Amino acid sequence: MKFIRSQKADSAGRPLVFHISQREKVVLLATLKLYPLLDVSYHQLSRDPKTSGQAEQQWLEEAMEQQRQDHKKKLGQFFNNDRRFFKDGKDDLLFTLTGEQMEWLLRVLNEIRVGSWVRLGQPELEEARKLSLTGAQARLFTAMELSGYFQAALLEAFS
Amino acid sequence: MAETAAPVAPPDTEKKEKTDPKESRDRGYLVICWNDPVNLMDYVTHVFQTVFGWPKAKARRHMLQVHETGKSLLVRETFEKAEHYVHQLQAYGLQATMEREE
Repeated sequence: MKFIRSQKADSAGRPLVFHISQREKVVLLATLKLYPLLDVSYHQLSRDPKTSGQAEQQWLEEAMEQQRQDHKKKLGQFFNNDRRFFKDGKDDLLFTLTGEQMEWLLRVLNEIRVGSWVRLGQPELEEARKLSLTGAQARLFTAMELSGYFQAALLEAFS
Repeated sequence: MAETAAPVAPPDTEKKEKTDPKESRDRGYLVICWNDPVNLMDYVTHVFQTVFGWPKAKARRHMLQVHETGKSLLVRETFEKAEHYVHQLQAYGLQATMEREE
């Protein structure tokens, strides 16, 4: 997946355009199907229990849960649109996003990346690459790497 | 360069530039971002730009501080604003917390 630099997002809301292969599209959609992976208990308001109370912690967890539900619902709607991907040549596609949609997709992909990492036991990434993984762990590791790949492609548009 | 999304302003930030002594006393909460090996460096920089409206150079400085020293103090704020920022940063998946200043 590659950002097409000639297409700039602007305040008028013109979309950002990405070039994506058919295979990348399949992988992107399969990766996004994993959402959500991160448990709300991952979110801690403070490391010092004296800083905030239980109510504030609970509010944070509720806000994160609401966000998960909103993102999950939006994912279903967003990618059910047949016009999300346009044909570009024989095998490749164009994928367009507004700036706002890109912010949202970056968050979703990051949740999958962080959630996979947490489920793998929060390893150092170099260590994780040397581990012999079970099938389930290998799927999580792949999801973590793939979501990072797509995030990097999206972030190109901001560079 | 593509524009980033508009910064997410916490309540009341635009109302007054000067802080009164009381607000200064109340600003005893630190918003800290902690290092983890999984968030991409460019992503963290982007999040700091988006949440705080910082220029890229400042956002990148804080990102590198997190990466190299394990944490970065992002802002010192009142309880409510610090909580707002932590919610924003955690919504992006960063390990950010608020801590009472000693």
